[in-house]
Amino acid sequence: MIRLYDYLLSVNCYKQRLLLSILDVPYERVDIDFYPGWEHKGAEFRKINPLGHIPVIDDDGYVLWDAHAILVYLACKYDPSGSWYPTSDPQRLGEVASWMLFAEGTTNTASAARLHVNLGYDFDLEACQAGAHRLFRVLDEHLWFREQQGQAWVASGESPTIADIALFGDVALSEDGGISRLDYPALRRWTERVQRLPGFIDMPGIFPVAKAPA
Amino acid sequence: MTITNGRRSGAATGPADPVAIDQWYAITALDEIPIGRTVRTELLGVPMSYCRDHDGSPLAWLTQDSLPAGAPVDARTLHAPLPTLADYGYLWTTVGEPDGGLFDIPETAEPDRRILNAGTFGIFTSGPRAVENFLDMGHLPFVHPGVLGQQPFTEIVDYQVEYRSSEIYAVNCLIFQPKAAAASTSGQMVNYTFRVPHPLCALLYKSTPEDDVRLDVIGLFVHPIDDGRVRAHLFNCLLDTVNTDGQLRRFQQGVLAQDKPILENQVPRQLPLDPDAEAPTRADKTSNAYRRWLSDLGMTYGVVARSNS
Amino acid sequence: MTAPDPGSLLHPVAGCADLVPRHVVKARLLGQDLAVWRADDDFVNVWADRCIHRGVRLTVAANDGAELVCPYHGWRYSNRSGNCAYMPAHPSDAPPRRLRVPTFRSEERYGLIWSGGSPEAEPPRLPHLEGEDTLVLRALPVNAPPDLALQGLLEWPCQPVPAPGDGASISCDSAGPFAVAVTARTGGTEEAVVHFVQPVDGGRCVIRPVMRGAPAADRRLSILRHHARQLEELRTRLESSAGSPVAVRGPSTPLQPLRRPTATAVSGRAPQLEVCVARKWLTAEGIAAFELAPVSGQLPSFQPGAHVDVHLPNGLVRQYSLTNGPGLTSVYRLGVKLEPDSRGGSRCMHVSVHEGDRLQLSEPHNNFPLRRDAARTVLIAGGIGVTPLLAMAQTLQRQELAYELHYFAQSDDHLAFGEVLEPLSTGLVKHLGLSPDQTADEIKKITHDYGTASHLYVCGPGPMIEATRAIAADSGWPEDAVHFEYFKNESELHDASSFEVRLARTGQTLVVGPGVSLLDSLRDAGVDMPSSCEQGVCGTCMATVLEGELDHQDVFFNDSERAAGDRILTCVSRAGGHKIVLDL
Repeated sequence: MIRLYDYLLSVNCYKQRLLLSILDVPYERVDIDFYPGWEHKGAEFRKINPLGHIPVIDDDGYVLWDAHAILVYLACKYDPSGSWYPTSDPQRLGEVASWMLFAEGTTNTASAARLHVNLGYDFDLEACQAGAHRLFRVLDEHLWFREQQGQAWVASGESPTIADIALFGDVALSEDGGISRLDYPALRRWTERVQRLPGFIDMPGIFPVAKAPA
Repeated sequence: MTITNGRRSGAATGPADPVAIDQWYAITALDEIPIGRTVRTELLGVPMSYCRDHDGSPLAWLTQDSLPAGAPVDARTLHAPLPTLADYGYLWTTVGEPDGGLFDIPETAEPDRRILNAGTFGIFTSGPRAVENFLDMGHLPFVHPGVLGQQPFTEIVDYQVEYRSSEIYAVNCLIFQPKAAAASTSGQMVNYTFRVPHPLCALLYKSTPEDDVRLDVIGLFVHPIDDGRVRAHLFNCLLDTVNTDGQLRRFQQGVLAQDKPILENQVPRQLPLDPDAEAPTRADKTSNAYRRWLSDLGMTYGVVARSNS
Repeated sequence: MTAPDPGSLLHPVAGCADLVPRHVVKARLLGQDLAVWRADDDFVNVWADRCIHRGVRLTVAANDGAELVCPYHGWRYSNRSGNCAYMPAHPSDAPPRRLRVPTFRSEERYGLIWSGGSPEAEPPRLPHLEGEDTLVLRALPVNAPPDLALQGLLEWPCQPVPAPGDGASISCDSAGPFAVAVTARTGGTEEAVVHFVQPVDGGRCVIRPVMRGAPAADRRLSILRHHARQLEELRTRLESSAGSPVAVRGPSTPLQPLRRPTATAVSGRAPQLEVCVARKWLTAEGIAAFELAPVSGQLPSFQPGAHVDVHLPNGLVRQYSLTNGPGLTSVYRLGVKLEPDSRGGSRCMHVSVHEGDRLQLSEPHNNFPLRRDAARTVLIAGGIGVTPLLAMAQTLQRQELAYELHYFAQSDDHLAFGEVLEPLSTGLVKHLGLSPDQTADEIKKITHDYGTASHLYVCGPGPMIEATRAIAADSGWPEDAVHFEYFKNESELHDASSFEVRLARTGQTLVVGPGVSLLDSLRDAGVDMPSSCEQGVCGTCMATVLEGELDHQDVFFNDSERAAGDRILTCVSRAGGHKIVLDL
């Protein structure tokens, strides 16, 4: 069984829990005393990941770290439909890769602001917030044009991909870092679409949405 | 002398509210303070710093330019040291002149108690909003569903609010909880007692699956960075032989992380003390008493004072 | 020329297309935060973005299609009125009608939602956009003051459409205080875009462009992209030249929410609302259905179980339950059964009241409130008694709370409101054509296993209510778990006695003589008593009793309430002895 080294309030860990839940893959959680215990920085945990980061998965002895890399692995291995990581469609795959890199940016700005506010990480809050707003403007415009083309998700096509998963947590929890989404109406609609996906699970800090009309 | 300086400095850059200034505040958990290295923060808008001395004793001082964050500290070179207490696992300090020491939590003297800082979280809210949320029962089925409450069992039956030696107590507070504590295995009607011994500290006493008589004690100690931003310390004093520190923290932090976006979406961030400013019901007796108590104390920091006072 | 006060105008706050189902749009206008949402009946609500209970922004609330649900304590606010419909901490209380979120104007024009503080103002009409289809282009929030954006737009001759060819003549003209029109003429064609500027606050605005004409599908996307790129360029310019936020032109006072008449004090039996019969139809054998729309303004909100007094053209006053579920807020929907022995009430409704007629109503009263915190809710309806239970069932269904609606009727043809029953199918059980004994047997089966946190609601003919209460009591249902509402008081009233009443607060002493009701005596003495049914059914005319034996003749109280002897329905009940003392 997959073992996920996890911290409840980590957005990057949540991305794994969300995809595993949507794909309905059973897994075992190993809770790391991330804060204030800093267990992931300790010698024991560095035997598992020398970088001292979570999430890490151990899939029957195969160990992988880096949140977005794990999403790629899980989707390739556990999504029989092949839609979450569309390897058979070069154009869509390219888009997914591009937006996954974009998600590194939202992690390093929006989620970094959250770590600073919540846990006191030594980041420049204003710089993180300004960076997140720059990226959110791009993403909001992108999603608005997707809607104009009758599409709902970050990458083109009819179904969501791991790019949506990689971006969702950073966006949905941005207000934890003092980043308002007032100016991003398309982004707000997209987060609700993600929340209505079958198998969606939330993490503390995400407000529930009403069900879609029958 | 240093305290007087602190007050002056506080009056210059912080609040002109003697009620808020003359209090002890928990700044950080003792075992999370680096030894001999400066950590900078603010208290009531006043820049201050802290560390532990090489003998382990906590130090706090009004921030000075010569000691940037991370700088090594020599206690003898501090221009304006602040008084400190080391109680209940936290470093407490003040930029004013508190009347005496800290309120008592007798349970902390019991040898089998687990005393733990379950976590410290920054929140964009005022201290009084954070405390009021801690005292609130009606939100449990909505904000903590499946844990501290469960829909549709949302009724708040009548309970009693009492004043005992200038503290507020709310007793016989009953709520159905599916998983009241990390050690719970099934749902139960839980009886809470709330206690407010300090404008920005509140305690909650609740039954525990591990003891028929004694109660778990959970506290919220608020460190007001300014009047719209706080650091909330989750104090635990538990009878729990089952869970690891990590499990206890996961439980408490998960609860706080559910409250945080509520607090950050309350407008205004400051707590309105005017009874007409928001619409209380019978279920809000404790918060009504807390608002009135703050008003009677003359607290003006982190609140919207009553218009007629 | 002085510029008009922005607070006296309507401004765009969202695009109509932004209001997708079950969503709440976050907006800001002249410093006022707004929650904008479309209900399932297509009504667009523009509300202050703040729960009145504890100040939580309603833009984080859930839009369930009929109500916004605050995530903090689950307070529910109704479509249209903004009234609080339910406070979960107090499941048996009807929220006072004064608990209401401030609501603002909401108008649709040119594909935009318009709002503001003025009760009279209308969205602008521009010749550039009249008489043709329009295309809403991508709106752009700008971190620059509205004035700067307007000035920037005047100096920014952006081509409305991509590559129209050389020699286009472009003009930018002010089109009212908060709009700039761009017109491009090439040869014989002319393209026009109007940029509306939404003043967010002193330092920010949203530029909302609307284009004239609906381009062909293959050009549409390239126009949208072209325009978005141009506007993005303008935004970069504006934001780099914007200094620190400046004061927006007015308004000197905060935006004014719409004023609504607050609930008038319930007094006497005077009508409080004027309605028009918008629709009347035969919903079942002998049952007429009515939809009553307000002549002006909006209808007061109410909770499931409520009824209104209808003042009939023939002078009679009758109570009818509201069948509305949550979401139906534009009309009151009633069902009226033609009683063979009608004293003129149901006959008048069936025969003399027609579509288009006006009627006077009381505000809704609720003496049959529904708790929504039960583990099991059983609704038992006999015939026309289904009406209040329909409101309850729809409410429970929408909140996804489990319930059973047992509907006893003579036949399929006697089932009222089939279109409402249809979507309730999961909770609905029909019992058709049963004799009284068979009915009692069914009720025994339904109620045989009482569990804690169960509640039973019964409404129908008097004997059926009596039977249900007795059967439930035998099966162990506590009295306070059995809720009932009679349609009429079928017991014979005795008013031959004479007694003395002392009013503790005023010190007055009155004598109630034979043939005179306590209620009338109190009114004669100047006490302003509310009332509704005046036959001991509805509970509106209740008074608190401090001393004295009582002769209860109502069908409102249950046995332990009667035994307690601390309340009296003044319309029918009397003193048991010579004297009672009331807390009046």
